[in-house]
This record gives sequence, C-alpha cells and structure tokens, in this order.
Amino acid sequence: MATVAGSARGARKIRAPRFALAIPAWTWFVLFFLVPVLWIVYYSFGYKPDIFSPIATDKLSLARYKEGLSSSFLHVFSQTLQISIIGTLLCLLIGFPFAYWLATRVSARWRGVLLGLVIVPFFVNFLIRTVAWLIILAPNGPVSTLMQRWGLRSEPLHLLDTRAAVQIGVVYNYLALMIFPLFVTLDRLDPAMREASKDLGASRWGTFRQVTLPLASTGIIAGLLLVFIPLTGDYITPLVLGGAKGNMAGAMVASQFVAGQNWALGAAQAMILIFLILGTITVFALVGLAIRSIARSRRAIVLPTAAGHTA
Amino acid sequence: MSSAAVGRATPARDRVTLALRVWGVLVYAFLFLPIVVIVIYSFNNGRAMLVWTGVGLDGYRTGITDPTIQNAVKTSVVAAAGTSVIATILGSLAGIALARRSGKWTIGFLALVFLILVTPEIVVAIALLIWYVRIKGPFGPGMTTPVVSYGMLRLWAGHALFATAVVTLIVRARLAGLEETFEEAAADLYATPWRRFTQITLPLMMPAVLAGALLAFTFSLDDTIISSFVSVAGASPWPVYVFSAVRNVLRPEIASVSTLLLLLTLFAIVCVAVVLRNSGQSTEDVAKTITVGG
Repeated sequence: MATVAGSARGARKIRAPRFALAIPAWTWFVLFFLVPVLWIVYYSFGYKPDIFSPIATDKLSLARYKEGLSSSFLHVFSQTLQISIIGTLLCLLIGFPFAYWLATRVSARWRGVLLGLVIVPFFVNFLIRTVAWLIILAPNGPVSTLMQRWGLRSEPLHLLDTRAAVQIGVVYNYLALMIFPLFVTLDRLDPAMREASKDLGASRWGTFRQVTLPLASTGIIAGLLLVFIPLTGDYITPLVLGGAKGNMAGAMVASQFVAGQNWALGAAQAMILIFLILGTITVFALVGLAIRSIARSRRAIVLPTAAGHTA
Repeated sequence: MSSAAVGRATPARDRVTLALRVWGVLVYAFLFLPIVVIVIYSFNNGRAMLVWTGVGLDGYRTGITDPTIQNAVKTSVVAAAGTSVIATILGSLAGIALARRSGKWTIGFLALVFLILVTPEIVVAIALLIWYVRIKGPFGPGMTTPVVSYGMLRLWAGHALFATAVVTLIVRARLAGLEETFEEAAADLYATPWRRFTQITLPLMMPAVLAGALLAFTFSLDDTIISSFVSVAGASPWPVYVFSAVRNVLRPEIASVSTLLLLLTLFAIVCVAVVLRNSGQSTEDVAKTITVGG
C-alpha cells in the first residue's frame, strides 16, 4: 500500500512498529489482567499458614490442587460441569429453532423488530433478571401461588435453592448468546441453497441435515462456546438461585477467598475451573472433528479418473 | 421471501412453519416472563418484594428519593460512560492494528484477548482485588486522585478489560471485511495519513465503533461480579447494591428502579436506532448493529 508515498516519506523518519496502535490496549491487558491473574497462579502453589493469614508462599507445592480436587470439592466441579453442559445444550435446542424461524420464516420487515425484541430483556441487569427468577420460583411466588389456586399442587413449590432452579436460571441468562450467532449464520444462508436441495429431490429433513446444518455449523460452534465458557464460570446464578444444593465452582472459588480466607486453595480451584473449561472444550472439539471426518469419509464418493485409477 | 413462497406450496411445510412460529412465541414468552414479573412487582406496596401487600407507587417513591440508591445508580452510569470511552478508544486502535498492520505480533495479541474472554469473570475479579490492594497508588485509598475517586478508577480498569477485548474483535472484524482499496486510493491521491484515517477509515469502521461503544456501556452497567469485588463503599454501583439486598432483604424499590432503568435504556437504544436509521440503514441493519455489532 502507498509504496511510493510511504517509502519516500518513511525513508528518513523512524517508522513506528506495526503493532504501535495496539500498545495501549496491550498495556491495559497486561496491567489489569495478565499480571494479576499470574499472581493468582503463583498463589495456587502456596498454602494457608494459620487462621489469621490468608496466604503464604515461602514453600511452593501442588498440594492445594490435590486438596481442591478432594471429594467434597470434586462434587461441586462435577455438578458445575453437568449444569453447564446440560445448560449449553438446552440453549442450543431452544435457540436453534427460534433463530431458524427468525432468519427464514419472518419477513424482512419484521425481522429487525423481532431481533431487537430478543435483546430487550438483556437490558435489564443480569442480577435483576436472576432475582426475577427468584421471585418466580419462590414458594410464595406467582408460579407456586397460581398452581396451588388452580389445584395443580397441594403445597408450595420447592424449586428455589435446588439444582433445577440454577439450571433454569443459567439457560435463561445465556440464551441470547446462543441466539445471536445462530441468527447471523442462518440469516446469511442463501434460501436458494435450500431450494436447490429440494429441487434435487432431497426431503425436508435431508435438506436440513445435509445443507442447513453444515452451513450453520460456524454459528453453532460460536454459540456453544459463547454460552459454555461464561456459564461454567457463573457465580451470580448459583448464588442467587442455588442455595446449598445448587452450588457451582465459581461460587466455591469466591467463598474460599471471601469466607474461607484461604487464598491458596481458592487460587488452585480457580485454576482447576479454567482447566475444566479448556479441557471440556478440547474434548468436545476432538469428538466433533472425529465425527465429522467419519461422516465425510462415509459420504465421500470415489470418482474413477480418466486413466482408470481411483483417487 | 422466496422460501416462504416455496413453503406455501406443500401442507407439510406449513405445519413446520406453524410449529416454528409457536416455538418463537414461546421463546419470547420465556424471555419476557422475568421482565414482566419485575415490572409487576415494582408496584408492590409491601416492605418485602416477595410478600405482595397491594398495588401502589411506594417502591418508586422510595427508589427515587433514597440517597444510597441515587448514588449507586450515578456510580453505575459514570462507570459505564468511562468504560465505554476507554474501551472504544483502546479497542478501536487495537482493532485497526490487527486488521491493517497484522504480523507475527497478532497471534500473541489475539491469544491474550482470547485468554481474557475465556477466563471466568470471578477469577479476574478476585485477581484484580488482590492486585489493587497490592499496588495501591491511584487504586488505593492513600493517594488522592484528581476528578475521580480510586473506587471509580478500580471499576473503570476492571470493566474496560472485557469491554476492550470485545471492541477490539468487533472493529477488527469490520475492517477485515473491507478491502484496503479506499485507503490506498486516498494515499495515491496524496491524502496524509491523518486525513486518510479521519475521512476513509473512521467512517468505514463507524458502525463497529458505535456498536462497540454501546456494548462496552451495557457490559459495564450489567457487570456484577467484578464490581462486587473491587468496588469500595461510597462508589459501589447499582448491581452491588442489589447484590447486598439479595443477601439481606429484597425490597420492591429494587424492582421499581430496575423498571425505570430499563425504560431509560430503551429510550437510549431507540435514540441510537433513530440516528442509525436516519443515516440510511434499514431496520434490520440497525437491529444487527445494535445486537451483534454489524
């Protein structure tokens, strides 16, 4: 670009490095993310010396990681993973037909308005939305009261402070993060592709499975990641809706720092939580790649070449 | 359009379309149920939110006049405005560099951005708190800072972290989708780098910058986790106030103030949408700019 003008002027001047414009953001990231988080990594190798001090790092060991994975904590980690995998899949199951409907069945005139409506609830604060579910699910809340009045239940609803309540809360809180990437990819999908598939004799299910779904895969993957990552680390939803039975790892990590004053253990559990997120993504990515390559090799058609060799 | 026309042809398609429409309505009901509940309970005249005593405006009266709530909402707005400004500037510059000056450094930078986005917010919140307490300086109570309190600086630094990462990616995506030919043409016509930036690059990336600024603002308003860890008494934003109420007593004024804030936000969004519309975008484009960043 601008080779003549650029080199003529740039010959004498000292040129700024290519990443010059990224330096302010980079500084910010290092100062308020990288260094503080590395500090936590360092703390995770420390220990709690006595009840008055939260941390000591004169002897470093992996003991806190072992302690962080002991049976009582392991239960919380496995519950977290279950809630987040089920929650992410529920978001996909709810969000996909919805995004598909919005992208393919709604006229262009209404699409913008309806898409805008999806985001309106998310202008209410995350915490307030969760509090709303606290009201809805409470034993003396509207759902419980109405069910009792209509004779559907004889006693108040005991959904609050359970895993089910957390499950509902997280699906609600992260659903939009699934809908938007799905909508974007489905919206870009040319209707002519589906029509062509239909003209070539594919059934509706066949078209969906072989045309729509593969073309929407980038959106599906983006949605799964966008929901799974923050959901697994969620701290607010289990704290508001989960009580003792619906605890999640994020809340557990926080309680080690705040209530427990055991920074080393909290830091180790924070690291375990990050590994849990990255590990799960890796496992699912590998499984997904394996399934795709198997499906491809099954579907591949070997064409004889002119010379008679097979490719 | 054409798919709908094709859909009309077979009754089976119609059944699918109908089922999808029903599903759409159900999802909207699910999305709006909590909002409706909040609005209804904002008119609860009782002292506790969960105990319905009667319809009235007590919640609104208390919510508007309570000095603690006033201060919390003000803190939230100032924090969001500051975050938006910081993140938009830092993120736009980084986004331009990533899209137009890519090189070996891009991988490292993007890895850092990715790391920020995958690290659970609770971990960042705790790490930041410990860090602030350790470095003190403008982030501790000892030093008097001009203009803003150290509590506000803590909020800005923390909120702008995620917001900058998001703005960076949005601006980068926008510029990566546009060829550099316009800038090259301007350069060939002897435009200075500064004019090239203000007259070509900036207008081209404007939708992404606006969407990024809006996202940064709402991210900061929405944030509870970082705020509840790093904020200090006297400069704690609205969600932190609500959080402490959840742990003690939930009062109806929380629902009332939330309803008012929702109305204000909607008003602001409609203003942005009108501006975008007047600049020649269709309703759908406007909705996309606001929701998914162009």
